[in-house]
Amino acid sequence: MKPPRIKEQGPATTLPVGSAAAVRAYGRMLARRHRRGLAGVVALHGTATVAGLVGPAVLGSLVQTLSTGGGADGITAAVGWYLAALVVQSAFTGLSLLRGSVLGEQVLADLREDFLVRSVALPLGVLERAGTGDLVSRGTTDIDRLARSIRDAVPELVVAVVSVLLVLGALLVTSPLLAATAVLGLPLLVLTSRWYFRRAPQSYRNESAGYAAVNTALAETVDAGRTVEALRLGARRVELTDRKIHEWISWERYTLWLRTVWFPTVDATYALAVLGTLVLGGLFALHGWIGPGRLTTGVLYAQALVHPVSRILRWYDELQIGQTSLARLVGVHEVAEPETDAELRPDGRRVEAHRVSFGYREGADVLREITLDVEPGSRVALVGPSGAGKSTLGRLLAGIYAPGRGRVTLGGAQLSRMPAERVRTEVALVNQEHHVFVGTLRDNLRLARAEADDTELRAALAAVDAADWADALPDGLDTEVGSGGTVLTPAQAQQLALARLVLADPHTLVLDEATSLLDPRAARHLERSLSRVLAGRTVVAIAHRLHTAHDADVIAVVEQGRITEYGPHPELVASGGPYAALWRSWRDERPARRPDGTGGAGTAVGAGGAGGAVAPVGPGECGADG
Amino acid sequence: MPLVPLPLPDPGSPDLGSPLGFLRWLQRSQRRGQLLATLWSVLELGCTAALPVAVGRGVQAVVDGDGSGLLTAGLLALLLSAGQTATTVLVHRQVVWNWIHAASQVRQLLSRQASTLGAALSRRIATGEIVAVSSGDVEKIGWYVELAARLYGAVLAWLGVSIAVLCWQPGLGLAVLLGVPVLAAAVWPLLGPFERRYTEQRALGGKASELAADTVAGLRVLRGIGGEELFLRRYRAASQRVRAAAVRTARTWSVMQAQEVLLPGLFVIGVTWYGAHLALNGSIGVGELISVYGATAFLAAPLRVIGEAAHAWSVARVSAGRVVSVLALTRDGAAADGPTAAADTDPAELVRRAERSDLHDPASGVTARAGRLTAVVCGDPDAAGELAARLGGRPALADGETPLPSARLGGAELDAVPLAAARAAVLVHDKEPMLLSGTLAELLDVPRSGRVEPAAALAAAHAGDALEALVDGSPECGGDPMAARITERGRSLSGGQRQRLALARSLVADPPVLVLDEPTSAVDAHTESRIAAGLRALREGRTTVVLATSPLLLDQADTVLLVHHGRVCAGGTHRELMATEPRYRAVVTRDETDLAAAGAGVPAPGGAQ
Repeated sequence: MKPPRIKEQGPATTLPVGSAAAVRAYGRMLARRHRRGLAGVVALHGTATVAGLVGPAVLGSLVQTLSTGGGADGITAAVGWYLAALVVQSAFTGLSLLRGSVLGEQVLADLREDFLVRSVALPLGVLERAGTGDLVSRGTTDIDRLARSIRDAVPELVVAVVSVLLVLGALLVTSPLLAATAVLGLPLLVLTSRWYFRRAPQSYRNESAGYAAVNTALAETVDAGRTVEALRLGARRVELTDRKIHEWISWERYTLWLRTVWFPTVDATYALAVLGTLVLGGLFALHGWIGPGRLTTGVLYAQALVHPVSRILRWYDELQIGQTSLARLVGVHEVAEPETDAELRPDGRRVEAHRVSFGYREGADVLREITLDVEPGSRVALVGPSGAGKSTLGRLLAGIYAPGRGRVTLGGAQLSRMPAERVRTEVALVNQEHHVFVGTLRDNLRLARAEADDTELRAALAAVDAADWADALPDGLDTEVGSGGTVLTPAQAQQLALARLVLADPHTLVLDEATSLLDPRAARHLERSLSRVLAGRTVVAIAHRLHTAHDADVIAVVEQGRITEYGPHPELVASGGPYAALWRSWRDERPARRPDGTGGAGTAVGAGGAGGAVAPVGPGECGADG
Repeated sequence: MPLVPLPLPDPGSPDLGSPLGFLRWLQRSQRRGQLLATLWSVLELGCTAALPVAVGRGVQAVVDGDGSGLLTAGLLALLLSAGQTATTVLVHRQVVWNWIHAASQVRQLLSRQASTLGAALSRRIATGEIVAVSSGDVEKIGWYVELAARLYGAVLAWLGVSIAVLCWQPGLGLAVLLGVPVLAAAVWPLLGPFERRYTEQRALGGKASELAADTVAGLRVLRGIGGEELFLRRYRAASQRVRAAAVRTARTWSVMQAQEVLLPGLFVIGVTWYGAHLALNGSIGVGELISVYGATAFLAAPLRVIGEAAHAWSVARVSAGRVVSVLALTRDGAAADGPTAAADTDPAELVRRAERSDLHDPASGVTARAGRLTAVVCGDPDAAGELAARLGGRPALADGETPLPSARLGGAELDAVPLAAARAAVLVHDKEPMLLSGTLAELLDVPRSGRVEPAAALAAAHAGDALEALVDGSPECGGDPMAARITERGRSLSGGQRQRLALARSLVADPPVLVLDEPTSAVDAHTESRIAAGLRALREGRTTVVLATSPLLLDQADTVLLVHHGRVCAGGTHRELMATEPRYRAVVTRDETDLAAAGAGVPAPGGAQ
């Protein structure tokens, strides 16, 4: 049977993944750091296993005693030993599990905290480019997988390996001959297991990706319920989900087939061990090389191998999965830190871009030879069609990306060479991406200024027109917001982002469509109240609404990576260029375009559909309220 | 033995009367699989239980110095081992397949339910909840279905072994018969605390994982403005809480595991002791003592299955309850396809009529004339959304909401026609249309009239830069935008790019009546003015309603209607209204001086939900 040809596409990996050597080094480091804990667990479990070996030995001695006509005293002593051993085995099994968990949880907590420490230190440019999707999946899925691996696979494997070694040792002590027969089937096991493990891990990953893909499809159908209904996509969604189910089942089928081949060979190995010890051992005993007692013990030990060997086989691939996840977590360590100069300090607040070119890919420049001088304290609006490079220019001015050619400077110092922690005290960027963190409203604001008190927080909210709804929240600033808490609308989230900006209070701000999610009228009001609070700050605003441009000191029209028009609003309007044309159509300050004059005031209103007459209403009614 | 082909062509109609009824229905629909699994399971356990007999006979033969006896015993052991090996894999194949059968069946039911409920579903249930049902609950139900057959097998094997021993040594038989249930029950006292602690650990783990995801997802904000330390501290605290909870769980777990060694061990010791005395006074042989020991030790296997099945049963019942509650939802809280008054309306006929009928909403007085581009300006964005939904007919109402009078298309009340017909006649493009993941070609593959080609729709929506972004983001498409992949919800695209692709999709569908609610709110003015012209040209002769406040769009409309307080209060061309209607000018130009003149305050942007 061939593996299915469908492959699920996981999230694109945009961040580095740790090499095998790096993962091994990390594993060794962990083992060294927790050497004592690990040794303790092994010792405890070893004791439990040794105690577990007493049972078969006791039965063997009973058989020996009975077959040689021993008495009742022998039985009582043997059973007494067995009982004592059982108590030890039971207690130490429990203890070793507990110590193992304590250790595992410790390692796991270290790993996940270490990962987050690394993540929050990633350069902003890397995050902007890579997106956060890959990182989120590392922080959740990979941590979960690793947790399974560390909670279950590692202790199970350690315990199983210790058990196998001890049982083999006991078998060797009982009778080297029997030990040799017990491992008769080993070559078969090794051979088929190699075959299996070469195919299994990837197939299981595909299987679980396939399982998740069904959920993704279903979640999308639910999420997009309105769209699905409006566009009559219901039947297609059902078909798609059935197809995803089919793909998932093909992988299930394939892994089932892998096991169908492998399981019997594993079982046969076990059977061979028991059969071998029984029949060959029996022959040895018939020849008088060993007694029936040892034979019994030997067969029971051979049987006792089954359980730990199964555990090794069961958990081996889980360990591999854990290794893959660990590689993805360790990979975050390998992101190169940008070269910065801690001594570099800006002299003044003037932001300048000098003949700046920039492209995300080699040979495809998004910005070409841009030169822009932003006067301290002025308001600059960047306008232009989508895809012209406005947002990219904004990120360069905020120091998030380093220019490919040319220089972006703040007070004469190159922004890209300054440490990120310094840059953000000077320049901050707010874009369309509005993230509300899980936590209280207060937490969400305080991240911008940790020491801010409630009065300052309220003032910041008021500055972005958010005081009304913030006060109306059930617990005010203590209201839990974000996923799982009170849901804020996208517009409110955007106001929150702006309130953070007010609190952080950098002298230069880049606002990339920072009010685009607000109702247009509210947006304008907000921009005006914000500009009062931000008086004296330098503001670079990227906007798709022309009133934002109208309110700015200078407008730069960006088209195809270049600044095509530059100047204050009245000047640009007077010059009669493309901006002026757009402005006039926005304000409708141009001659009538359609001579036919379709649709006068009376034609639609009051014409009524077949559904019935509409009371004719005049313009007067609109002013009647308010 | 061939396995039933899956997924099923039709998942069937489940018994939604009760969670138990649902579980029973699931098991009934795979009766053959359950029977086979039980059969294999009994055989497997039988072989395993009988193996100690062969070992005992072998040892007895050795004690007796009987070479051929040893060979016979070896042969018997070989047969039993072969039987065990074969049945083990058969059991495994069958129960896994039963699991998949149940899981895929439930997921098929869920996907059909989601598609049927459409707009109404998200009003009644959170997306997260249905995903939880389709992964976690499905797994738990599958687990129970998988174990059911093994449970039957275990019980049968236990009874079989007990009877066999009972016939041979009544004292031992009685011990086996009664010992197993007692041992099975001994796990129960700890199971409750363990479950509670484990649930707590899972909840804390989920919370920590959520915090990590949340922090990382908002990392751009943190890196841009600060606060990393605050969030790290918070995460550390959550992570340490998980650790403490996991250690608490491990404490109970380790006691349970110790008990699992101790209790069956005591049982084995007791039986061995008794057997040894029987052997001592000669009622049984040494070999039989070994058989007894082995058979008692074997009982741990069915014991584990019984314990696990009891656990699975308690969990699956809860999960089945959740599945039933999702599957029992209906669109309007009533019958699945609504009023029957006009159920005989032929969708094709309605669509034909829709092309030449005016669309009228009595509640607001809005009328869109056939074949014309009508714009509606509405000061309140929420009211605009409701108006748009009403214009499409059969709006999804929240529980307890009373419907307003139905919109009328020609003579037909849209609320009274079948859902499919209403949606075919009028396409409502709401404020936040969702992009479904897949290639661009798949995105644009919607039921359509065929008059508008995808290329024309994309051109009208001015989606050029979105196409470039898509090609950039999917290297595997080889430069062909139609083969480029759109990620979930189009997250890799900007708001404006998403909006234009969604607009292109609605334009490709080319419905007789198209209602667009703020289709270009996130698009820059330059592009918006081009889209407005493109839209007008593409919808020439088709009925189109645009709810918008941007002058660039309004200027393209044949008629503009101003809706205030839910009613049409003025109408005319954009230019006429700009000249004569201060209230209109205020809404459209967002000039605060105009707003003041019209005597209206600026509404706060939406209250908390």
